[in-house]
Parts: sequence; structure tokens; C-alpha cells
Amino acid sequence: MAELLDRFAPLMGQRDALFGDGGANPFQVKMDQVLSQTEAMIGNRRTILVGTNNYLGLTFAPEALQAAHDALDACGTGTTGSRVANGTYSGHADLEKTLATFFGKEHAMVFSTGFLANLGILSTLMGPEDFILMDADCHASIYDGVRGSSAQIIRFKHNDAADLDKRLARLADKPGNKLIVIEGIYSMLGDKAQLADIVAVKKKHANTYLLSDEAHSLGVLGRYGRGLPEEVGCEDDVDFIVGTFSKSVGTVGGFCVSNHPQFDTLRLVCRAYVFTASLPPSVVASAIANLKAVQKGGALRARLMRNAKHLHTGLSALGLKIASDVSPVVAVVAPDVQTAVTFWRGLIEAGVYVNLALPPATPFGYSLLRASLCAAHTEEQLEEVIAIFAKVASDIGLITPAKTKRTAVG
Amino acid sequence: MTTIGTEPSAQTVAALVEILGPFNKTGAELKPGTRFTEDLNFDSLVVMEFVAVVEDTFDISVPLNILPDVATIRDLAAAVDEIVAESKS
Ligand SMILES: Cc1ncc(COP(=O)(O)O)c(C=O)c1O
Repeated sequence: MAELLDRFAPLMGQRDALFGDGGANPFQVKMDQVLSQTEAMIGNRRTILVGTNNYLGLTFAPEALQAAHDALDACGTGTTGSRVANGTYSGHADLEKTLATFFGKEHAMVFSTGFLANLGILSTLMGPEDFILMDADCHASIYDGVRGSSAQIIRFKHNDAADLDKRLARLADKPGNKLIVIEGIYSMLGDKAQLADIVAVKKKHANTYLLSDEAHSLGVLGRYGRGLPEEVGCEDDVDFIVGTFSKSVGTVGGFCVSNHPQFDTLRLVCRAYVFTASLPPSVVASAIANLKAVQKGGALRARLMRNAKHLHTGLSALGLKIASDVSPVVAVVAPDVQTAVTFWRGLIEAGVYVNLALPPATPFGYSLLRASLCAAHTEEQLEEVIAIFAKVASDIGLITPAKTKRTAVG
Repeated sequence: MTTIGTEPSAQTVAALVEILGPFNKTGAELKPGTRFTEDLNFDSLVVMEFVAVVEDTFDISVPLNILPDVATIRDLAAAVDEIVAESKS
């Protein structure tokens, strides 16, 4: 008889081969004390955080803190119930109204996380006669969501509107509905969807809807922070927007907004909405406060983009390979898994935290040091981060030391 | 996919064997009964890459839904035959 989890033995073997020597291990990073949006104590080391997805730095926004404190005192620590039972407080309804107004959509539905929003919506929207066409680089929650759907699931090549068009054309004589699923900014490499092209393809085909997961673009793109559809100017062509409060909104929770007239049906049939507890009142209050800050966050967005450019330029100048153009996600591509691990350890030991992202979670089998910027990063912090990248990269022989003598950037 | 388990065309099997070449890291013999997981050590990432090549080769979309039922080269060939036939009907 095999042991219970023996089928994961290859994965565990891989982990032990990489981290079994007892050195720093990304699965064990613990923030012992959070100093600010951009710094924490990890063990005894003061560490600059460049991998939090806290794009606008709103986790300590005074209005959100105050609103959360007030809601905590007024309503308690939790709702102890699902949205359709005892778990809908006036705050949840206010949050949905705030979201609908924010996006200029008729309907909004709040889930307990972004993962659950994708799970609930994607498993429910399309039926047995229908088709879901998803970008191959979509997030794990999208893969898990479509797996729960009775529709046929088809992947198209990442960001390839022509490939999507070809696949939709093959389905032209099928009567069912089609749903295209993309992300505004793809989480691993930080590249944007080719939204205008994808919208053009959508419009060519009958009964075809578009859903965009704006997890990494909400608050980041668009004059008012409504994400890639706002930036591209095609908000009416995106039928469903899914998102999360766990990144630029600085708390936790997920949502879907839409103008579809039957949207409220989802409240009864999305199992990930019906059968899980609702968000605690303090989280709801901070989300409402921070959504307002996101909308008025033009200055924060400008600072975020300046920081993104600073880090992208600085790391490129070292001779490191960056996976995408300037973006709040700066993914440095390491030549192989082992080098990525050594690089990551060098960074964390020198006081810089980034995400270590390894295949199969990454596109192209890339081994990545994934940095994400925050509007609250200072120029000095970013200069220090770049200097530490330079030192570690040359220590491990990834770049020649000459390249580390840089003139000022950004 | 009702046809998984029926006998696929020899031509499809041969085409799959050919494109499997670069994916065959275990050196297992490539015949209709060769299993992707057990004999070729395919993990989810390799499966996705391989399916993308199959789609390009036959100019079809292979729905992800059928993958749990595809264990062998024979299963995949039968599924490809059915998808190709359907796209011509
Ligand atoms: C693209 C994408 N969708 C969904 C999620 C899930 O969001 P949440 O953290 O709210 O579950 C994430 C982040 O983890 C993500 O990157």
C-alpha cells in the first residue's frame, strides 16, 4: 500500500534537493515584525519588501485603519455566516454599491477572496453546451474555477488574439455561449493583455463574452484605477470583471462586477458564494475606504509607475534579463532553478525580499525572482535594492562585476 | 469523449509518436499503449506543452476536460481522430 501522499514524492524530492541543506527557504519566510508597507523584520534582519503586491501601499492608509477599527468595535470580529444566511451586514451591501459605482456597472458581488470569486464565477457562468476559452497563462484560481464548469475548456496561446480567433472560428457552428477569460496584467511576468485585439476578436464572434481578472491591474492602470479596460477604453466590451482586494486595495476579499441583466442569479447558484463565511466587518470597512483611495489615487499610481521604471531600468542596466516591459511586476529571469534559488537566498540574506517563482507555476518554465513595486517605496530603498541585486548577481557569477558600476538611474 | 478506448487510426498514432520524440525524456518505447504519466513521467506542465504541440500539428483545439481520461498514446489518438472528424462534419 502506498502512503497517503506518495504521489507527491517527486515534488517533495525536488524541494528537498533545492532546500534540504537547511539554508533560507521561501516556504518558511516569516515576517516577524511588519515595520511599514515596504519593510519588515525577518528574523533579526531589517528587510526591504519588494514582493508584496501591495501596489499602492494602502495597507496602513489612515482612513482605512480608522474605518476598520470603528467597524470592529461596532460589529465584532466576524459575521459567523455566509452571505445568503446571517452573513450579509449593511457593510457588505455598501461595499457592493461602492464597487458598482467605482466600475460604473449595474451589479457587484463580493466574495471572501479573489480565489473564491474565480472559483464561483467560472464554475457557474457557462453550462454543458458552452465553451470557455482561457489564456494559457491564467492564474491557478482560473484553472481551478474552469475545472468545476460543465463547459468545454479550451486554452489559447498566451496573449495571441489570432490563435483565439482561430479557435473561436472552429466553434462557429456550435450553438452554445463562449466565454473568453484573460487577465489585465498577468501575475507572474507582469505583461498586459492585448485587450484591444482580444475585444476585436470577441466582437467578430456570436454569443461570445469576455471576462477579465483585474487582480494585478485594479488600482494600477487607468486614470481612476479601474484597470486595463479603463486604460484601453473598452470597459463596455468587458462583460465580467473579477478582482481581489488583496493587492492594491490592501486587505482581503474578491469580487465580480457586470452589467449582465441576470447577474443576481449568481447569488443563488455560486457555491463559493453561498457556502462560505462572508468577510468580517473590519475588512469590509477597510475595502470601502481603500476603494475610494484607489479611485483618487492618481498620485499614487504615478509614484508606482515611477518606481517600476526605476527598478526595471536599474536591473536591466545590470545586464539582468527582465521578462516584460516596464510594469509594477518586475520578473528577473534566472538561467535555471538552482541559480534562482541561490540568487533568492543571496537577496534575502542581504535584506531584500522578492518572490521566488519556479516552474510549473511560471510561464515558459522560467525560474523567476519576481519583484513587485509599491507606491511607498522610496528612491533610496530602490537604489539599495538595485545595489544588492548587483552584488548578489556578481557574487554568483550571473553578471560581470564591471556592469555593476552604474551611474544613477530612474 | 465517447471514443476513447476505440482503436485510433495508425496514421494519427504515428504522427503522435513523431511529435512525442522531443518530449520523451525516459527513453520509453513509443507505442499505442505507452502511458504518459507512468512511462514518460509527464507532469502537468509537460502535458500542457505537449497538448499545445498536438493542437498545432492537427490544427484542432483539445478541450482540457478530456485530459483526465487520456492515459495512453492510443487514448489521445482516438480523441484526436474524433475532434478532427467533428471539425470536418
Ligand atoms: C490573477 C490572480 N487572480 C486571483 C488571485 C487570487 O486573489 P486572492 O488573493 O484574493 O485569493 C490572484 C492572487 O493570488 C491572482 O494573481
